[in-house]
Amino acid sequence: MELKSIVEGIERSDTRSVARAISIVETESLHVERNLIIKSIYPKTGHAGIIGITGPPGIGKSTMIGNLCKILSSKKIKVSVLAVDASSPFSGGSLLGNRIRMQENLSRYGVFMRSLANRGLNGGLSRAVWDAVDILDAAGNDFIIVETVGAGQADLDIVNLADTVIVVLGPGLGDQIQAIKAGIMEIGHIFVVNKIDREGSFIAIKDLEETLAFSTQGEWKIPVYGTNSLTTEGYDDLIRGIMDHSELAKSSMEFRKKRYREEMRIVMQDEVSRILNRKFKDMILNGSELEKLLESKTDPYSAARKILKGSTVKL
Amino acid sequence: MSGGIYLENGKSQLLFKDKPIKILLAKPGIDGHDRGILVLAKAFRDAGMEVLYAGLLPTPESVVETAVNEDVDVVALSLLNGAHLTVFRKVADIMRSKGIDDIALVGGGTIPDEDKPKLEEIGVTGNYGPGTPLSVIIEHVTTRAAEARKRKLSR
Ligand code: B12
Ligand SMILES: Nc1nc2c(ncn2[C@@H]2O[C@H](COP(=O)(O)OP(=O)(O)OP(=O)(O)O)[C@@H](O)[C@H]2O)c(=O)[nH]1
Ligand SMILES: [Mg+2]
Repeated sequence: MELKSIVEGIERSDTRSVARAISIVETESLHVERNLIIKSIYPKTGHAGIIGITGPPGIGKSTMIGNLCKILSSKKIKVSVLAVDASSPFSGGSLLGNRIRMQENLSRYGVFMRSLANRGLNGGLSRAVWDAVDILDAAGNDFIIVETVGAGQADLDIVNLADTVIVVLGPGLGDQIQAIKAGIMEIGHIFVVNKIDREGSFIAIKDLEETLAFSTQGEWKIPVYGTNSLTTEGYDDLIRGIMDHSELAKSSMEFRKKRYREEMRIVMQDEVSRILNRKFKDMILNGSELEKLLESKTDPYSAARKILKGSTVKL
Repeated sequence: MSGGIYLENGKSQLLFKDKPIKILLAKPGIDGHDRGILVLAKAFRDAGMEVLYAGLLPTPESVVETAVNEDVDVVALSLLNGAHLTVFRKVADIMRSKGIDDIALVGGGTIPDEDKPKLEEIGVTGNYGPGTPLSVIIEHVTTRAAEARKRKLSR
């Protein structure tokens, strides 16, 4: 596929163009192509509401997303899904297991879904997810749902990406909050106790309501919902909460600004390290300057600063 | 798209350096034998691939739809129920009707030798059965993935 036809395809919401574009933004060495695609489609972004779903492993995030796809689709709301899984630090491979829990609803309602490996990035997301969100936004989605890794580590990056962060927990809350670390209690706009068919969920909801009693996110009062994702019990309230919060997010520029700021920070960091890797290394680190610095026993900190300051390489 | 440096250099290491092989494993038929496919899923992951497993009973249609959404390099089809000729062909037909030629199809399971040429003919290669060393399977998948990836990059 030509880049031009990919860009046109995205704007027509053509599945194969969207899918191929995401492959390109997932391939670091195709950064020139990536930059062209994002530049071309960026004016078309800004419509979609971005919903982040996070929570401990196995709590029901993917099943919940399947249900949300079904309910939103049947209301004629266009939705797509991105789900991030962890890569093995040893082999670099990964088992992308989120799709299987939502496949039935994806197929039935023709929902686009893409699994992304985090490729060793901490924070619960992958580098490419930021670009993938822009692509799906430009493709005319009303909502984009993002599932974080949820590997018990602090999945906090979602707070910068999503307009609405949903933290999913379950009965036996105490251990889970321990497992996912305190930070996650501060990033949720909506809390859900899933698996209310299980014992202890009533107490979990009460506990959570007490913990959150004095917390707000600006003018938003944080709600706690109980759901059974095997029957979709409790989903009416959850959907209402999502709609209300996304209205609020849309009415202020704060959420978009926050995302733009973080995206810019990531891009700048990438850009600087790319230049560092490609140019500095060859031009300076292998040159005679290095030997001089070594001979004069200049310590590495001072040496690095000296090289960077005196450099004629244009950033 | 400029995949130039990758195309000239035939080494698949380079080809997959910053985007690992992505593979979808599927059993698109009434077949509960899932041990083999689960063994393969782990083996492929440990070989550095990004692996999707479609679960039991996906239809040929949903296999292709998933392959497109996920833009995989390879779809690995496994059947031990004897229905491979019809089912693998169905998947290959849907792919062809959609003009998809940059996703490779490989097969395996209990496939009699006399069926293998018929499967090769419709583009389903490998067709390995019980007892095949995992290293042979991984090498075959890597070769086929490299062909598919080059096709993706050459346009
Ligand atoms: C274990 C087993 C079962 C278990 C399955 C448990 C499970 N969850 O998987 C149980 C008891 C449930 C079972 C049930 C049945 N089975 Co059974 N079962 C077997 C048996 C003994 C071993 C299969 C196995 O797990 N092997 C171990 C795994 C690791 O190897 P594998 O699956 O072959 O996969 C390897 C390779 O084939 C290859 N491979 C496989 N897929 C792919 C895909 C690709 C792309 C590639 C590259 C490679 C590849 O790589 C894998 C890893 O090395 C085989 C006989 C045999 N020796 O194969 C019969 C066999 C498969 N079963 C058979 C039958 C008929 C049945 C039943 C219909 C009834 C019966 N007679 O028992 C039911 C149907 C179940 C159903 N719902 O579909 C027949 C199938 C005949 C046919 N093809 O027409 C076989 C061949 C036995 C026989 N000789 O009659 N079975
Ligand atoms: N009893 C019960 N089981 C549920 C409920 N929701 C999900 N499950 C089951 O919980 C298991 C895990 O569900 P997933 O949706 O894969 O959970 P997840 O949070 O996405 O898991 P990871 O992505 O692996 O962290 C599955 O077996 C689901 O069927 C629920 O409300 N009640
Ligand atoms: Mg999941």
